[in-house]
Amino acid sequence: MKASNELKVGIAIILSAVAFILGVRFFEDIPLFKGTYDLYTVYDDARGMIVGNAVRISGVDVGSVQEVSLDPETNKVKVRIRLDKQYIVKEGAYTEITGIDALNAVQMVIHQGPPDNPPVNDGDFLPNRIANDLFTSLTESAPGLISRSDSVLVGLDGTITDIGELVQPGSDLRRMFSSFRSSADAIEQLLSEERVRIGRVLANVDTLTTALGETTQGAGDSLAIATQQLNELLRRVDENLAALENTTNTLDSILGKIDQGEGTVGLLINDPALYHQMDSTLENMNALFLDIKENPVRYMRALRLFDIL
Amino acid sequence: MPVGPAGMLNPVRALGRYSLLMFQAFGSLHELSIYRKNLFDQMVKIGIESIPIVALTAAFSGAVTTVQTAYQLTSPLYPKSLIGSIVAPSMILELGAVVTAFILTGRVGARIAAELGTMRVTEQIDALEAMGLNSVGYLIIPRVLAGVIMFPVLYISAVLVGIGGGIIVADLGGWLEAAEFIDGAREFFNPFDPVFGCIKSLVFGFVITSISCFKGYYTRGGAEGVGRSTTESAVTSCVFILLADLLLAVTLL
Repeated sequence: MKASNELKVGIAIILSAVAFILGVRFFEDIPLFKGTYDLYTVYDDARGMIVGNAVRISGVDVGSVQEVSLDPETNKVKVRIRLDKQYIVKEGAYTEITGIDALNAVQMVIHQGPPDNPPVNDGDFLPNRIANDLFTSLTESAPGLISRSDSVLVGLDGTITDIGELVQPGSDLRRMFSSFRSSADAIEQLLSEERVRIGRVLANVDTLTTALGETTQGAGDSLAIATQQLNELLRRVDENLAALENTTNTLDSILGKIDQGEGTVGLLINDPALYHQMDSTLENMNALFLDIKENPVRYMRALRLFDIL
Repeated sequence: MPVGPAGMLNPVRALGRYSLLMFQAFGSLHELSIYRKNLFDQMVKIGIESIPIVALTAAFSGAVTTVQTAYQLTSPLYPKSLIGSIVAPSMILELGAVVTAFILTGRVGARIAAELGTMRVTEQIDALEAMGLNSVGYLIIPRVLAGVIMFPVLYISAVLVGIGGGIIVADLGGWLEAAEFIDGAREFFNPFDPVFGCIKSLVFGFVITSISCFKGYYTRGGAEGVGRSTTESAVTSCVFILLADLLLAVTLL
């Protein structure tokens, strides 16, 4: 009985001690069994940061704030953070407090250093940069915003004047609107007159689409065959086009050769002497034909002679 | 005890007698080896046998706190995880320790007062003295020590079950996801909070057991006296739990 009671009490105490330690680590968002390391940073303004706030790298929770203490001499705030060992912070990293302090929802963000840098060690100091919260940045950018909105308003004023001119009685826009309205009236009248017919047309369209749907379903096989044939056709067209391209290329090279003066045709085209000879020959022929026309007898005689032969 | 104008000093007298009794009890702490069996007996009776009722109460208080917080947080401006941020610290700082203490005032304090009161009125305490035993040490030390040691254990189980109850009700009731609840609880978690809760439960353990021992040990007047001691021990314990709660919050937080 005695041993049993002692055992019960011992088990209860050990279990609750383990639960306490694991529970605290769990709610601190520190991995239950893995190691951690501490870093610290100093701010001029902690902006409502409290113990337990999340620490993030690229938006991922990597640890939590462990201690926020105000140095009474320098009035600066030292913040100690505890990070999960699997997240390595590189040297050159800096911290930043982000979030909206009005809602008490602030967190620390660590911006990583260059990837080639060595990792920081336990207990190291991280420099910081204070990020502006929503309201601060609004306040800071307010003067620029105001001047910009001023110029926008001036532009808007001009636009409104233009619009005013545009909607004067007798303006194009007015006329356009009135004709648009009469068209709309006409369409409306038409619609009301032809309501029955339009209804019938739509019903027909409906039947048609239904039938088409059924046909498509039924004719699936034929469609497949047709598609196959179309594919075959396209393949052949493709082959033909390839052949055509080949031909074009050959033609191109031939034309190139001709242009270079290679071969008979090339010589023909590129030798001006031949052209001149042909020209003079044609001229002579022309003269000859003229002569024949003027004195046909001279040649007829010769022809006749030829006939006799 | 004197009545009338002189009775105004009764509470002061009671405080004096209580302090002397405690001094006497802790003066016999060196005899602890003699009380060892008795101590573990009391630890089981006060601590382990109380776990079911403490867990039940904690589960319901966690669940009810969750539902009521969710009911009150209707503004879309607040994230739903804020429910976790409210329920978990409530359990850790206040409900886990105080609700447990009130439950144990009834379950443990009343039992101790009635036990010692009956022993007093049936002259068993006198019999112990006659046998040469130090009745104060023998009866009070195991009970008070068991309370001080086991109350933090009960507190830890109450907090775990309470937060678990809150999470389950939040999840099943469709108020918020378990992960959201835990996120919220983590957002504002301070590792000192559970330590403070443990200190509180330790103090409450001492308050409940010592006051009920005191009331029981000085019982007079038969069965009626036992009843009166039991009632007085429960009421006085409750009042001093609240006082200690406030004092600890003011001094330690």
